[in-house]
Amino acid sequence: MTTAGVGHPPRHADPAPRLRAGRWLAGLRLARLYAVSRRVATCLIVLIACAVALRTALHWLPRSGVYARQIPLTIEAGAAAVIGVTADSPFGEPERVAGRWLPYLRLAAAVALTGAALGLLAAGSASQPLAGGTPGLLRDLAGFTGLAFLAGAALGGALAWIGPLGYLAITLPALAGHWSTPWVWPARPPHDHGAAVCAGLVFVAGLALVTVRGARAWFR
Amino acid sequence: MTAATAPAAPPAPARPARITLPAPARLLRLELRRSIMPWLAPLLAVLFWLTTYRPAMANPPFWNVRSGMVQSHAMLAFAPLLAGAAAWAGSRDRRRGVADLVGMTALPPWARQVAAWAATTCWAEAVYLACVTVLYVVTAHQAAWGGPLLWPVAVGATFVAASCAIGFAAGVLLPGRFTAPLAAFVMFLALAGGAFALQANISYAQIWPLNVQGAFPADAYGIFYPYLPDLPIAQLLFLAGLTAAALGGLGLPAAAGGRWLRAIAAAMTAAGLAAAGTGVALAGTARLEAHGIVIPALHDAASDRPTSYTPVCAHTAIPICLHPSYRALLPDVTAALGPALSQVAGLPGAPVRVTQVALTSVQAEPSNGIAFGGPVISGRPPVLYLPLAGGTLPGQGTASAITENLREQDGPVILSALVGLPGELGAQAGSGAAEATPNPGSRHAAQVAVLDGLVKALGMVQSAPGGRIQHGTPSGANQELAATRRFAALPAAARHAWLATHLAALRAGRIPLSEVP
Repeated sequence: MTTAGVGHPPRHADPAPRLRAGRWLAGLRLARLYAVSRRVATCLIVLIACAVALRTALHWLPRSGVYARQIPLTIEAGAAAVIGVTADSPFGEPERVAGRWLPYLRLAAAVALTGAALGLLAAGSASQPLAGGTPGLLRDLAGFTGLAFLAGAALGGALAWIGPLGYLAITLPALAGHWSTPWVWPARPPHDHGAAVCAGLVFVAGLALVTVRGARAWFR
Repeated sequence: MTAATAPAAPPAPARPARITLPAPARLLRLELRRSIMPWLAPLLAVLFWLTTYRPAMANPPFWNVRSGMVQSHAMLAFAPLLAGAAAWAGSRDRRRGVADLVGMTALPPWARQVAAWAATTCWAEAVYLACVTVLYVVTAHQAAWGGPLLWPVAVGATFVAASCAIGFAAGVLLPGRFTAPLAAFVMFLALAGGAFALQANISYAQIWPLNVQGAFPADAYGIFYPYLPDLPIAQLLFLAGLTAAALGGLGLPAAAGGRWLRAIAAAMTAAGLAAAGTGVALAGTARLEAHGIVIPALHDAASDRPTSYTPVCAHTAIPICLHPSYRALLPDVTAALGPALSQVAGLPGAPVRVTQVALTSVQAEPSNGIAFGGPVISGRPPVLYLPLAGGTLPGQGTASAITENLREQDGPVILSALVGLPGELGAQAGSGAAEATPNPGSRHAAQVAVLDGLVKALGMVQSAPGGRIQHGTPSGANQELAATRRFAALPAAARHAWLATHLAALRAGRIPLSEVP
């Protein structure tokens, strides 16, 4: 304040509302920048395409048999792979050092994208005979996504797709072979508690790891 | 001491002259070192173990059973992941932001891209062939007969190259973080779509690279006759064509290289597309035959000559001879069919020998299904040709289950062939399922009654509820049932004596129901 200003009251006696609004806007901007850097919009477009593919497949597929399980599972694994790849950071170390809010952004993005995938795929399979129904879809998608996050944390975000798609390669013969281990949850019925627990554990572990550590890029 | 007076340093030991590799080889060596595939090799090995090795080891050590898995099971796991890894390698320069930097080098971009694809493919082939070698070495130690089938390995190895080429082209043309997962995902969907088309009996879908001899069970080919290479040749043509087209397509843009290089790329693309189309067209002409899938344009008549072997025989009333690889099943087959054979031994038209064959007849069915014919008596002197394909293999199941299965399935069919019943009617009658046949006809009534009597007497099939086996119209059913019971109640010697006298007339349909003792 200069001497010219002496005797005049400050224009804003209470700066708190402006600060709060500024913080809110800055937070939104940070979230938007994070989403742009992770190609979240492209991911959502791919997820919509997956939902359309699921609806088309369910329309043409037989209602029972191995194919009735295999093709929806493939689409769910594809959706999870795409979600996992969004964890890849284009900035690497500088962002990790300077980004105080990064774990929260990672958590929010991961949960939001998984929720969006679940919603879109459930909408895609609505009024169609999806083997396992929505509970099966929730379990399988959560497990696949958890594997994508785990692979992202271990190998790097760009290679996160290896987790769900590699697991899918094991699952497809397991469907025909009727494996009974709950760790191959897609081969178990949707009401199997062991399979649900295993898929849930994988999702929680993957989400925790990718939130705390992020997807380290070992291979670029 | 000054520098001038210092003693001369001893001469450095001469380094062995390094071999200077030509530029493409140096580039390939660099790419081999930079490839991600060595890091993916353990994952691929684990996938092979889970999806191929374990199921293969769960089956008996038959080369045809285990060899097919290196094409169908292994490639289902490998192809999508390799497509993704190759897409990752193809988009590497753009992903790292060095596309402009490497674009300024003297080497044409197409040559660099082909070197990167070749490095990925070399690693992938090494992993695949190493896994197959382990499986084949273990099988070689366990198998009692035959040798490894190499056609499925050739198709698998070519599919590895094709997956890498398609994924790599996708990575180069659409670089981005989503390219690799989408390439792998689309490959999975394409394989599922191919299986779906095959199940819908679309003839061109036979080209599907995971297809090993169509709907034939794995033990139905490659033992009694050589493995038919018709379908594998068409698949190789298709996959090699796809590989050439994908790689050639990368050399078409103006920035890919000089005029000559682009002309070569264009020729390669055209040749690849032509080869792939030819493969699909050839697969469309495929047809099921008794020894596998035959494509007339590719078929070699030499493949129709049976494989020579010395059968193993059981010295029963009618000798039973099996292929040496089925030696372990001989006691079970003898126990299952021995009673029926001893009952018919020496009768006119009865077989003098039982010989195992791969199949007697085969017929395509909807949904990529296949139907096999049962045992057949033919030739002069008559020989009973016994197919065991599609059933239990040696080492699978318990001896009692195998014996029971053979007795209930094949015993009645053999007896119905002996009494001269038409195939379908005989199978229904002998299985006790003739309730579904409203009127077998009075001409066959005596044959049905004799067959059912034999089946009942030999305990080949469980009685229908209430102990009734019904045939014919309601008015004739009681007569048939009575004849069946009378014949079953006869002593074995009396049955044999009656059959020895009346079998020819019975087969000709000249015995009325009332004359059945």
